[in-house]
Amino acid sequence: MGRRWRLVAVVGLTAVALLPAACGGPDDDGAGADGGLQGDIFVSGSSTVEPISGLNAEKFSGANPDVNIRVEGPGTGDGFELFCNGESDISDASRPIDDEEIAACQENGIGYTELEVALDGITVMTSPANDAVECLSTGDLYALIGPESQGFDTWSDANALAQEVGGTGGFPDAPLDITAPGEESGTYDAFIELAGFEDIGVGQGLSEDEAATTRPDYQSSPNDNVIIQGVEGSESSFGWVGFAYYEQNAEAIKAIAIDGGDGCVAPTRETIAEGSYPLSRSLYIYVNDAMAAEKSALKAYVDFYLSDEGFASVTEVGYVDLPADRIEATRSTWRSA
Amino acid sequence: MAVGVTATAGAPGVGLSLEGDPRRRKRERIVRSLFLAAAFVSIVISALIVVSLFREAIGFVLRVDLGALWSDGWFPRRGLYDIRTIVVGTLLVTGVGMLVAAPIGLGAAVYLSEFARPRVRRLLKPILEVLAGIPSVVMGFFALTWISPNIVQTLWADATLFNLAAAGIGVGILTIPLVATIAEDAMHAVPHSLREAAYGLGSRKRTTSLRVVFPAAISGIVAALIVGVSRAVGETMVVAIAAGGTGGSLFTVDVTGPGQTMTAAMMAVATGSDRVKGAALTFESMFFVGALLFVMTFSLNLVSERFVRRFRRRF
Amino acid sequence: MAQVVEPTDVTASVRAALRGRRVDLGGAVFQLGLLLTLLVSFAVLVTLLADVWRQAYPVLADRGIGFISSNLSSLPQNAGIWQGLIGSVLLMLVVVAVAFPLGIGAAVFMEEYASDTRLTRFINANIRNLAGVPAVVYGLLGLAIFVRALGSVTGPDVHGRSLLSGGLTLAVMVLPIVIITAAEALRAVPQGIREAAYGVGATRWETIRSHVMPYAAPGILTGTVLSLARALGETAPLILVGAVTGFFATDATFAESFQDQFTSLPTIVFRWATLPDTEFRALTAAAIIVLLAVLLAMNSVALALRNRYERRW
Repeated sequence: MGRRWRLVAVVGLTAVALLPAACGGPDDDGAGADGGLQGDIFVSGSSTVEPISGLNAEKFSGANPDVNIRVEGPGTGDGFELFCNGESDISDASRPIDDEEIAACQENGIGYTELEVALDGITVMTSPANDAVECLSTGDLYALIGPESQGFDTWSDANALAQEVGGTGGFPDAPLDITAPGEESGTYDAFIELAGFEDIGVGQGLSEDEAATTRPDYQSSPNDNVIIQGVEGSESSFGWVGFAYYEQNAEAIKAIAIDGGDGCVAPTRETIAEGSYPLSRSLYIYVNDAMAAEKSALKAYVDFYLSDEGFASVTEVGYVDLPADRIEATRSTWRSA
Repeated sequence: MAVGVTATAGAPGVGLSLEGDPRRRKRERIVRSLFLAAAFVSIVISALIVVSLFREAIGFVLRVDLGALWSDGWFPRRGLYDIRTIVVGTLLVTGVGMLVAAPIGLGAAVYLSEFARPRVRRLLKPILEVLAGIPSVVMGFFALTWISPNIVQTLWADATLFNLAAAGIGVGILTIPLVATIAEDAMHAVPHSLREAAYGLGSRKRTTSLRVVFPAAISGIVAALIVGVSRAVGETMVVAIAAGGTGGSLFTVDVTGPGQTMTAAMMAVATGSDRVKGAALTFESMFFVGALLFVMTFSLNLVSERFVRRFRRRF
Repeated sequence: MAQVVEPTDVTASVRAALRGRRVDLGGAVFQLGLLLTLLVSFAVLVTLLADVWRQAYPVLADRGIGFISSNLSSLPQNAGIWQGLIGSVLLMLVVVAVAFPLGIGAAVFMEEYASDTRLTRFINANIRNLAGVPAVVYGLLGLAIFVRALGSVTGPDVHGRSLLSGGLTLAVMVLPIVIITAAEALRAVPQGIREAAYGVGATRWETIRSHVMPYAAPGILTGTVLSLARALGETAPLILVGAVTGFFATDATFAESFQDQFTSLPTIVFRWATLPDTEFRALTAAAIIVLLAVLLAMNSVALALRNRYERRW
């Protein structure tokens, strides 16, 4: 009995001794004991932009260990939902903010600054075994995967529609196995917009809302791994991913050149950077202005993001750098925010 | 516990009350109520599960466009909630899983119970225990990186890397120990007299185990299989990693292609934000599927209980 | 083989049967077939370990301790599991603090105090049902209750998606298993032990405390360590409750980290397994090796406890 009480006493004393160490600590927000930056930063949004934000968060927190920072990538749409509810400080986006989201932000009084940070290209791909398809026009894309293509099970099913909307057609009679991003992904929205589905669809008599969609009957996934594997797995497959993921798997899939009206252009770093590849897009971060004014740590993080070291992360994770003039434009937008 | 008797005057130990110290009794009462409260927590938990699941699930059912429940596929963020897709997906994965777990599990059980000598048994039983301890994320990774390329894609050349069959095999492997343990318990509980009667009539060991012991333990064996199914139905991570249905999934019965189960569908919704964008009911759909799943596994467990009671009562 | 005694008028067929083939070919094949099923399980285990080790070895050899002590990162060469390890350890602390007292208390009540009424049978059935509920449903429960309803208590700065929420969810999940194993351990204590205490005038609680518990303790301990091991490997409930799958850095102290964002080792495994960057495959394998090593350690501890303290009646 006595031995047990001694044990309890030892444990209790140890706990009491550790207590000050456990509970003691600098207060949140404001300057810490050693003068370093303090605060909480929450970044959410596009899984495409996530690697850039994440890498910058790593570098930043290495220099500012007292800042709590968290980066997640549930999807551009999900990110804006949080952002316009005031629940995140920065929203990563692989497409510009849309009208609905602008309205939501306005409703909740969230003022923001849009900053372009990198370039990406949407690579349309098929299996390397598919010799019949080398180049597709935007009309072809609409015929294969636009809102009116629901039910097309083979490539050739889309031929008629392709002719109708000014595409080249001439597709082989092979199964059309589609694996591509789904609605929660910014890549999905960017694809629709860059391929001009809305215009083509409205020209076909659809409403704007109907036109700016894809067919619903394909295997969708936000997971680029799944998409790449899906395209690899069939000989007449079809799908699209961001350029960085394509580059990492370039031996396994074949990129299709896209004709946006000026001839067939294949996706490469150069064509994306100079904008000749029709499906190139910008990657953005949206910063909550009020939070940036309130939290010095947040402002410092964005400053770091737009510094040379921050921009270096873009190529480190595999995306394409903005041309120098646009980098300057972003910086001056931020400075005047 | 205390006996309320007082010794009568004149008897030895006069003045001694057997009633005991009131402080002790009070302490007893307090301690007892503490333990009772602890036991009650389990009921509170059950109630909370039912309430939280069904409240959102009913909200979902009331507000959802019923046509969306029978559409092309499970795309929660687009407002397409085809239940068939995920239920059939669950059945497919469970089916493949039981195809793996039932023969191997029952075979192992028969061997350990009827044929293995004690030393061999002590050596082999830990294999099952280790298998039972493998976390499902690990099995999911194994299913994706080994089972799918080396088994599924070898048997079916046109299978994609992410497919339901690989997930099903992985789930089956995780279920083997459960089936084996319960079945072995059941067979072990068969009294020796039955076996000896069979031997006395001249039957071989093989005949005895198959024609005498196995049927005698049938309730327990059925219970083992039902528990296995319940486990397979509830398995999440293997499917989330290896079946590839993460964004949404078309209705499919092809196990060599990607798909979605009820459990992984819930995960996929949750790996968005707390309040997910897309169709307004995406978040509630998670609870709806959860409620469905709960009802399924609850019923399976009830049925298996009945079988377990039958085999325990018989002997 | 027993001596064959030649009886006087045994029939020819019986004689033939007694002198029959000693080798039962069908039976041997059958036995082999059954043994094969066990060996298939063994083969699966070995293949899994070998394949994971093969993929993990380069990473572990290259980076060694650095892999364990690094934080999450987008760059595979920098990424490590430290935050996951810490998260898992802290989660286990919460589980121990919550599930064990509640679970052992409930088991004590059911085995020592409760009489066989409808209520207790109902509680028993309820516990057994809870043990069969899938982990992901517990995740939903955690999301609804600990994250959303009690968010201001469990994690005011992180919208309730805190380590405390995760730990409580896991605790609720393993509670039924703890109760069942503890009850079994208590049931195994012979009634004579209790009667010895009653005989000298002990109350029920005193009996439990001084006689029953010491004898049941090894069994209870073993069962609870095994439940901990089970909780350690769970991912689905934590993801539903908001474990971080991206990147995070935090300066929280030990006490603060319970209400802070968190991740766990299996969550990291899940995250890395689904990343498209193929370099993360090797990292996933390495993380799995660490996870399996931790689980092996825990199970060995449980086994050692059982072997050392188990009394045979």
